[in-house]
Amino acid sequence: MADLTQPAPLVAPSVARPRRHQPWVSRRYTLEIRQQLAWPWQALVLALSIAAGLAISAAILVAAGVPADELANEFIVQTFLDGQNFRAVLFQAAPMILVGLAGAMAFRARFWNLGLEGQMIWGAIGATAISFFGVGPEGLRLPLMFASALLCGLLWAWGPVLLKLRLGVNEIISTLMLNYLAGNFLLHLVYGPWKDPKDAFPYSPQFLAAERLPELFGGVGSAIVLAGIVAVLAWWLVDVSRAGLYLRFVNANPRMADAAGVPVTRMIVGSVLVSGAMAGLAGFVIASGQEGRLTQAFYQGYGFSGILIAFLARNNPLAATVVALLVAALFVTGRSLQVFYQVPFSMVQLIQAVIVIAVASSDFFIRHRLRRVAAA
Amino acid sequence: MDILINWLANTPDFAVPYALAALGLILTERAGVLSLGAEGLMLVGALTGIGAQLAFGQPGVSLVLAMGAASLVSVLFAAMVILLRVNQVIAGLALVFFCQGFTSLLGTLFEWTNQATGGIGAASLWPLSALPGVGRLFEQNAMVWLTVPIFAAVAWFLAHTTTGLRWRAVGENPQAADAAGIGVTAYRFAAVLAGAALVGLAGAYLSVVSTKLWIAGMTGGRGWIAIGLVIFARWSPWKALAGALLFGCIEALIPQLAAAGIPLPQYFVLMTPYAVTLGVMIWVAMAKRGGQGEPGALGEPYVREERR
Repeated sequence: MADLTQPAPLVAPSVARPRRHQPWVSRRYTLEIRQQLAWPWQALVLALSIAAGLAISAAILVAAGVPADELANEFIVQTFLDGQNFRAVLFQAAPMILVGLAGAMAFRARFWNLGLEGQMIWGAIGATAISFFGVGPEGLRLPLMFASALLCGLLWAWGPVLLKLRLGVNEIISTLMLNYLAGNFLLHLVYGPWKDPKDAFPYSPQFLAAERLPELFGGVGSAIVLAGIVAVLAWWLVDVSRAGLYLRFVNANPRMADAAGVPVTRMIVGSVLVSGAMAGLAGFVIASGQEGRLTQAFYQGYGFSGILIAFLARNNPLAATVVALLVAALFVTGRSLQVFYQVPFSMVQLIQAVIVIAVASSDFFIRHRLRRVAAA
Repeated sequence: MDILINWLANTPDFAVPYALAALGLILTERAGVLSLGAEGLMLVGALTGIGAQLAFGQPGVSLVLAMGAASLVSVLFAAMVILLRVNQVIAGLALVFFCQGFTSLLGTLFEWTNQATGGIGAASLWPLSALPGVGRLFEQNAMVWLTVPIFAAVAWFLAHTTTGLRWRAVGENPQAADAAGIGVTAYRFAAVLAGAALVGLAGAYLSVVSTKLWIAGMTGGRGWIAIGLVIFARWSPWKALAGALLFGCIEALIPQLAAAGIPLPQYFVLMTPYAVTLGVMIWVAMAKRGGQGEPGALGEPYVREERR
């Protein structure tokens, strides 16, 4: 669009003067909004920005004292090519896929669900309660834990979405505050009534064998299968079902969607509840598939990872699954860096943030172009 | 009676970080930039403060360096949201996680964790502090007293200066401001940097003045609470100060109750600041006053080429 603050030129500038006789300094650059960039270019920009993010992260790690050649070895060779480590990545990927999908579901409804960690905590508490109180026969424990985790995660997400729709309470703050409430309640349980009487550590008694997610594929665990099923369901929900279509209307423009007869409120509440339920399942998968008990800090770092995965995947469930695998690899690498080079685990958080910053900034070049125009 | 005096005397120490962080956020958000990065910038301030304190041992120098460091980091955020027009929520969250990871890494690398430093002494307000009984209330550190003129200066700047008027115009209606010849980009950059300096000061107060320690993630959600406080205060500095005092009161009450021998469930007590924030947000919404005072263009990037 024309720049209205400048006086209109008397002659059309680019026509009036041949460009090549202009000295460089007298040329002016203007910023234009692009209509659409062809997808191969978009993919290239995305790949370049992720590479830039990784390069910056690698530089930080080298500055933090990790030898550069070891770093490449650690991340690429050890994590992806070594069978045992690759299984560790798949093992780690299950909760990561679930939180990524949870983030994507809520963001599709334009709801900033930053409460993924709180919903995870409640999912894990819900699952553990079934084990702790010995609800139902042993054969039914796993399905009961699954249902309980799902329900608890869902209920913890219900409050903020109601508050937002009924009263207009900002969900960014409310979901974050609920994370802190859930985190402290978890500490209360594992230091208090649910503490394992056997030793002094802050965690609940160990689950029975029947309450653990069974191991499949040589130690990978059935959690990854569960995450895969949820991913396919999410894809169906978003890409095939009528609700998914409605949700796309809501995402594009809630007011227009309402005018077009889409049940906007129901769609928003529904997708946030699904988001909470998925995060609850992530908590269940960690408690029952990984730790085998309720522990005090199992959720840390997942909330942001879920947001990052949803953002990088553009809220697409299948893309989120792939990104989640990469983030899981980052987690596994981060843990081994922590063990071997005393690099704090928060380094993983830093790398994720750097990649988000790089990708978010690169969007500018997808949406705009710099054009050189001859100065009058 | 002693408990009451002690409680009130301890309140400012808890209130100052909330107050300064909220003031910084108001300064930034009045220019239309939604600043969710407060939690991270407070950590940057806290880490820089303790680093400078260990190196130089001068609280004043440490606080100033912390302000500078937070401003410097916020240049990254400003470039993202103002120049590259990144979604302000995503950019703010990325900034928080960047700062959390970075400060934790640097704290470990330099081995600053849990190193005690010399603090800042009490600056008594004579002759009030010589009063019997209530004199204890006026034995506060210098930063507590300084907070009041800082608030006065910012409130006066926003309300009564031409620059302050332009600052608010940029946040209220950037299109109109641009048409009137106000440099929207420059004002928003200044707003992010100046606000970050105050948020960094709030963080440094925590580490240098209050606890005299660095621990990774030591801000514990105070940055998010400050964001809630800004909504509660409807972007008005003095109301934010009142809100911060309320939060300080609640936080200061807890150790007093424990000292008085009243048994409290520890983790439920730790929940109170977050529960109160949530409660305040709900109360503001129920009173239907949330929208008033909110800068008109808060969170919207200004794109001249898209002007309609």
